Amino acid sequence: MIQLQDVSKIYQMGQVTVEALKGVSVTVEKGDFVAIMGPSGSGKSTMMNIIGCLDRPSKGMYKINGTNVEKLSDNQLAELRNKEIGFVFQQFHLLPRISLAQNVELPLIYAGVSSKERHHRAQEALELVGLSDRAHHKSNEISGGQRQRAAIARALINKPSIILADEPTGNLDTKTGEMIMSLLIDLNNLGNTIVLVTHDPEIAAYAKRVVRLRDGLINSDEVNPVPRVVGGGE
Amino acid sequence: MLIIDIIRVALKSLAGNRLRSFLSMLGIIIGVAAVIAVVAISSGAEQQILDSLNNLGTNMITISHGMTRGTGGRISQSTTDLFTYEMADQIKALCPDLNNIAPYVDGSGLLVYNDTNVQGRVRATTPEFFEMVDLDLAQGRMFSEADLEESRLVVILGSEVATDLFGETNPIGQEIKITRGNYKFSLNVIGVFESKGQVMFTNYDSQVFLPVTTWMNRLQSIKYVNGFSAQARSNEVAEIAVAQVEYFFYQRYKDLDKVNVTSQTEMLSMASDFANTFKILLGGIASIALLVGGIGIMNITLVSVTERTREIGIRKALGAKRRVILFQFLIESCTVSLFGGLLGLGFGTVVAMLVSHLGGWPFQVTAFSVAIAMGFSMMIGLFFGIYPASRAARLDPVDALSYE
Ligand SMILES: Nc1ncnc2c1ncn2[C@@H]1O[C@H](COP(=O)(O)OP(=O)(O)OP(=O)(O)O)[C@@H](O)[C@H]1O
Ligand SMILES: [Mg+2]
Repeated sequence: MIQLQDVSKIYQMGQVTVEALKGVSVTVEKGDFVAIMGPSGSGKSTMMNIIGCLDRPSKGMYKINGTNVEKLSDNQLAELRNKEIGFVFQQFHLLPRISLAQNVELPLIYAGVSSKERHHRAQEALELVGLSDRAHHKSNEISGGQRQRAAIARALINKPSIILADEPTGNLDTKTGEMIMSLLIDLNNLGNTIVLVTHDPEIAAYAKRVVRLRDGLINSDEVNPVPRVVGGGE
Repeated sequence: MLIIDIIRVALKSLAGNRLRSFLSMLGIIIGVAAVIAVVAISSGAEQQILDSLNNLGTNMITISHGMTRGTGGRISQSTTDLFTYEMADQIKALCPDLNNIAPYVDGSGLLVYNDTNVQGRVRATTPEFFEMVDLDLAQGRMFSEADLEESRLVVILGSEVATDLFGETNPIGQEIKITRGNYKFSLNVIGVFESKGQVMFTNYDSQVFLPVTTWMNRLQSIKYVNGFSAQARSNEVAEIAVAQVEYFFYQRYKDLDKVNVTSQTEMLSMASDFANTFKILLGGIASIALLVGGIGIMNITLVSVTERTREIGIRKALGAKRRVILFQFLIESCTVSLFGGLLGLGFGTVVAMLVSHLGGWPFQVTAFSVAIAMGFSMMIGLFFGIYPASRAARLDPVDALSYE
C-alpha cells in the first residue's frame, strides 16, 4: 500500500526554487492499477521517484506498506527498492555490456540470492515475457519492445509488491505498447500494485484509476469504471 | 551481493576497454617493473661485491699511510717513513687478534724476456701475503727464508704476465729483466700463480711478485715499506684487531691520522652503503612512477564512474547499496593496478635478468620483492580508487538515472 500525505518536493537551483510537488495526498491500495497523467512538468516523475523510494519528500509523509520512509537510511531504502518495488523506465535502462539474463538477474544479486537460483529465476521471468530465446543476447541486439519486456522481467523477478512504470510505452509504437500493457495487466491480475505514468489517454484507459496532476497538485482522481481490455480497443 | 560477482563485473568492464585499461596501467607497470628490477639488480650487485671482497681474502685488514692534514697541500715526508719491514713481527707480537701480517711495497717496471716486454706492476711482499689472499701457485715454488734474508733476485709471475712473456714456454728457471730507470736487474722466475681474475679493482694475474727485501735492498734502496696487509683471527674480532693495530701506532707516533687501518668489514659495509644509496635513489624514482601510476588509476576510475553514471543509477534503483557500488569500483581499480603490477613484475624480471646477465652477477628476484611490489600495487589501487569509488557510491539515484 502506498500512502502520500501532503507530500511536497522542492528543488533548489541556485537562487531559484522549483516546487515540483505542492502537497500531494494519494493512497493506492494493494492490487490497484493507477495511471498518473498530466502535462509536462506537472510533477509526475517527481512523484514516481518518491513512491519508488529513489527520492525523499521535502515535506509531508510517505508510507510504503506501512513503513515511513523518513526514518529509513539510504541503505534501508535500497533494500526496500530491491524487495518491494519493480521499476520500468521509458528508456528501458538495461545495462548494455551484459546479457539480458544477467540484466534480469541484477535485483537478485543485490538480494543475495545464490547464482544457481538466479539463473533459474531469470530464465523463468524471461519466459513469462516471451524472451527465453533471447536470454544471452545483449540489449542492443533486440528491438525496443523486447527491451521493455526484458525490463519488465527484471522488474518482477524479485517478486515486488509494487511495479512503477514511468512512460513505459513512451518510446514504443502502439502495437508494441499494447503488448507491454497486456503484460502489466497480467501482473496486476496476479496481485501486483501498478502505478503508471503516461501522456497517452489510450494507455491510461487500461488502468482502474486515473490521477491527474497539474502544477504539482492533484487536479482529479477518478476511478475508471470500465478499464480497457487488450485486443478489445476499437 | 557476493564479492565474486563484483569482481566479475569489474573484470568485464575492464575487458571492454582493453586499450584504455592498459594505458592507465602503464604507470603502475613501469613503477612495479622499476621496483623489481632495482631490488634485483642492486642486491645482485651487492652480492657480487661481497663475494669479490671475500675473494680478496677474508677478514683482511689494510694498514697504510694516513692523510696528513694542515700542511698546505704539501705531502709531508713523515707519511712515507712510518712502516719498516721489521715492524711486521712487532705488530704481530703485540696484536693478539691478528692471525697474520705481511709488509708490502708496490712499484712498477718494464719486464723483458727475449724480445717481449710488458709494463709490470710489482708487489714486493712476504709469503704470508699469498696465504692471506688465497693466491696459490700453479707451478714452481714460494719465496724461501733464504730468498728474503739474502734479498735474492727471484720473481713469481701472475698468470697473465706469464703467458704474455713466455707464451707456451715454461717460465720456471728462466731469467727476465726488469728495468727501473737506468738500471736493469735480472730476475729468476721461480713460480707462477694460478689465475684469480679481476676482483674489484685488483687483478693479481697482471702483477709480478718479489721478495720485499729484494725490492728494498736492491731495486729501490728504501728503508720503509708502503704498508701491511694483515688478517684478523675472525670476523668477530676484526674491529678489536683494528683497534690493537691503531694502538700500536698511536704509541709510536701519537697521531691516529698518520696511519690508516681499515678492515674488510668496513669495506663490506661501504659496499652495502653504496648498494643502499643506489636502492634509495632508484626506489625514489620507482615511487614516483608508482604515484603517477596511482594517479592514472584514479583517472581511469573517475572516467569509468562518469561514463557509467547511468549504470550506477540503475544499479541503485534495483537495490544496490552504497557499499556494493563502492566495492565495485574499488575492486575495479585494484584489478587494474594488480594486473598492471603483474605485467610490471614480468617486465621488471626480464630487465633484471638482462642486466644481471650483462653485469655477470647472480640474478635475484626474491619472493619478498614480489610480495612488496604486488602489495604496493594493491595498496595503490585501493588508495587511489577510494575517491572515485566513494563518489560513485554517493551518487543520487535520481540524478544518476537522468544523467545523459
Ligand atoms: N532535479 C531537478 N532539479 C530541479 N528541478 C527539477 C528536477 N527534477 C524536476 N524538476 C522540475 O520539477 C518539475 C516537475 O518535473 P517532473 O520531471 O516531475 O515533471 P513530469 O511531470 O515528469 O514531466 P514530463 O511529462 O515532461 O516527464 C519541473 O518543473 C522540473 O523542471
Ligand atoms: Mg517525467
